[in-house]
Amino acid sequence: MSTCQRILYVEDEPDIQTVAKLALEMVGGFTVKTCSSGEEALDEAADFMPDLILLDVMMPGMDGPTTFNRFREQPIAAKIPIVFMTAKIQPSEIAYYKSLGAIDVIAKPFDPMTLADQIRIIWEKREQNVHFQAM
Amino acid sequence: MSISKQCEAQKQLSQLRSQFLKRLPIELNSLKAIAENLNERGFDIATLNELHHRLHKLSGSCGTFGVPALGQATRILEIRLQAWIEDSSVEIDDKARQSIVRDIGALNSVIRTPENHSAATLTMTPDLPSDKTIRVWLIEDDAAFEQELVRQLESFNFQVHFFNSIRDAETAAQFERPDLLIMNVLLHRPSEQDSILLQDRITLKSLDCPLLFVSSTDDFNSRVRAARLGAEGYFVKPVDITVLINRMMQVLEKRRAPPQRVLIIDDDRDLAAHYQLVLTVAGMQAEVLQQPEVVMTKIANFRPEIILLDLHMPNFTGIDLAGVIRQYDEWSGLPIVFLSSESDFDIQILAMGQGADDFLMKPISDAQLIAATRARIERARRLTSLIAKDSLTGLLKHASIKEAADLETAQAQRNSKPVSIAMLDIDNFKLVNDTYGHAVGDNVIVSLAMLLRQRLRHSDIIGRYGGEEFAAVLPECDQADAYRLLDDIRNQFANIRFRHRSHQFNCTVSIGLADSAHFPRLIGTELLAIADHALYQAKREGRNRTCIARTIV
Repeated sequence: MSTCQRILYVEDEPDIQTVAKLALEMVGGFTVKTCSSGEEALDEAADFMPDLILLDVMMPGMDGPTTFNRFREQPIAAKIPIVFMTAKIQPSEIAYYKSLGAIDVIAKPFDPMTLADQIRIIWEKREQNVHFQAM
Repeated sequence: MSISKQCEAQKQLSQLRSQFLKRLPIELNSLKAIAENLNERGFDIATLNELHHRLHKLSGSCGTFGVPALGQATRILEIRLQAWIEDSSVEIDDKARQSIVRDIGALNSVIRTPENHSAATLTMTPDLPSDKTIRVWLIEDDAAFEQELVRQLESFNFQVHFFNSIRDAETAAQFERPDLLIMNVLLHRPSEQDSILLQDRITLKSLDCPLLFVSSTDDFNSRVRAARLGAEGYFVKPVDITVLINRMMQVLEKRRAPPQRVLIIDDDRDLAAHYQLVLTVAGMQAEVLQQPEVVMTKIANFRPEIILLDLHMPNFTGIDLAGVIRQYDEWSGLPIVFLSSESDFDIQILAMGQGADDFLMKPISDAQLIAATRARIERARRLTSLIAKDSLTGLLKHASIKEAADLETAQAQRNSKPVSIAMLDIDNFKLVNDTYGHAVGDNVIVSLAMLLRQRLRHSDIIGRYGGEEFAAVLPECDQADAYRLLDDIRNQFANIRFRHRSHQFNCTVSIGLADSAHFPRLIGTELLAIADHALYQAKREGRNRTCIARTIV
C-alpha cells in the first residue's frame, strides 16, 4: 500500500488556505504546498510531485473542473488522485465531480480538526479499491 | 496526533478566527457598498459577478471560522445571485433589486446585534465524534466542596477541570473551551467577588457556554447579578448534587437542540427569500417552496416544524393548501401560520376554520417574524415531549420505548446490523422509598436516568419502563459492546452517593441484556421480554450485576 504524505492544495481564498494548511500540516502531519490558482497548481505539480491534489471547485479564472481536466492532460500529473472541495453538496453535483474522475468530494466548510482524518479515510478507501481491482 | 500539537493547532486556529472576526465588519461594509452600486447603475453583470464571488468566499470563511448563521445567510444570497447570473431570462425588476441590496446591507446587523451574538459566536471546534464527554470547568476555592463535586460529577461521566481563581481559568480559556462553567459567586477572598469581576472578564464571557453559580449566600442582589450575567442556575450550599446535575443536563440539552425547521410557501420570491434569510440568521433552518403542487413531498422530506403560508397565491390559495395538509393524519398537528395583508376578519376566520393556527399581518417586522416562529415551534416541541416523555426523567414512556424497540429491530434486520436491548432495575428500591421517602427515591430514579443519558449515544433510545425500571435500545451495538458499556454504567451508578439529611447511601442496579444477533427472528417487544428475563436472573444471582440472555425462556 502506498502512503499519502505530500498534498498539493489549490484554493484562492487566503483565510481558508491558512486554516487548511494548518489543519493538514500540524494536525495531520502532511507536507503541503499551497497554490492560489489553477494555473499556479499546473506549474507546480511536476516539481512538487504530490501524492494527492486537493482542489477547490469555485475559483475565479480557471475553476476546479477546468484545472482538473488540464491535470489529466499533463503526462506527469495525470495519475495523481484528485479530491474536490466544494460548498455545493447536492448529490447530483457530487456525482458529476466523481464522473470526471475525482476520487472523492469534501464538503466546505470543513472542520479543521478532522480534515486530515477525512483525507486519510478517503485515501484508505481508494487504496482498498485499487488493491481490489488488482486482485 | 499528540495533545500538545492539537493544543497548538487550536491556539493558532483561534488566532486566525479572531483576525477574521476583526476584518468581518469591513468586508460586510464593502459588500454593502458594492451592492448599493446596483441601485445606482442598474444591473451590470460585472457587479453581479463580483458580489457573487465575494459572498461565496465569505460564506466559506464563515463556515470554517465558526460563524454558521452568517455563513448560511450569505449562502442564501449567493444562491439568489447565482440564479440571476446563470439564467439571463429571469426578469430582474426594481423590487427584486432593492430587496437584494437591502438584504446584503442587513448582513451587517447579524454580527452587531447582541441578540444574535451568541448565534454568531458558536464554538469553533466541535467535539471529536468518538468523545462525547462533557467538559465542565469549576471555579471554586472551597477545597472540600470542590472535591465532593468533582467526584460526583465524574461518576456522571463529566470531565471536570478545577480552577482556584478566575485568573487561572482565564489563562486556560486562551487554549480551550468548556461546555459548561460552574463558579462560586463569592470566593472567600473578598477582593474576588466574581459576579462583579466577571463583567470585565472578556475572555471568560467569550467562552459562550452556559454558566451556573454556586454560592454560600442567598440574597436577592447576588441572584440579580447572576441573572444579569446570563447565569442559568443559582445553587445555594449545601448543594444537592443530583439537582445541580439535573439542571446541567437541561441546560446542555437546550443548547444541543437541533435548529428549528421552517417551511415558507409564498409566491413572492423576494419576500420569501427575505423571510428565509431572516430566520436563518436567527439560527433556524428555513426552506422556501415555490410550487404548491409538491407540498406534501416537500413536507415529507424536510419535516418542517411550522409552515408559514401566504394566503393569496395564484392558482391555489393558502386555505386550499392548509386543507390539503390537514387531510394527512401524520401532519394534522403541524402548525400552520398564515402570512397575509388580509385585514378582512371574515376571511381570517375562514382560514382558521381550515386548519390554520394563527394569522400574522403583513408587513411583518423581522423581529416579530422570528419571535412568532420561534415561540410556536418551541411550544410544539414541548407538547410533543409531554406526550411521549416521562415527566420525572424526561425519558420516553413505556409505550414509546416499545414502539422504538420494534422500529429499531426492524431497521437492524433490513440493514443486517446488530441491535441490543437492555432492561435495568434499581435494586431494593422499595427500601429506599420506605426509609428516606419518595422525594429521595425520585432523586435516585432521576440520577440513573441522567447517567444513562450521559453515557449512551444520541442515537440510543432510553425509556422509563415502569417505576424504577428502565429500558434502553442500542442500535448498531453488538452484545459485547453493550455488555461492556452497561456494566460500566452499573459500576458508576454504584459509586454515586445519595444524601438525605445527614445520611449518605448508595444504590445499585441490575441489568438484563438481549441482542438481535442471538435472537435474529424476534421483534423489539419480544427482545425486551427476553432482556427482562435476564434482568430477573441478575436479581436472583444476587443483584448489582449484568446478565446476558442466552436462550428463549
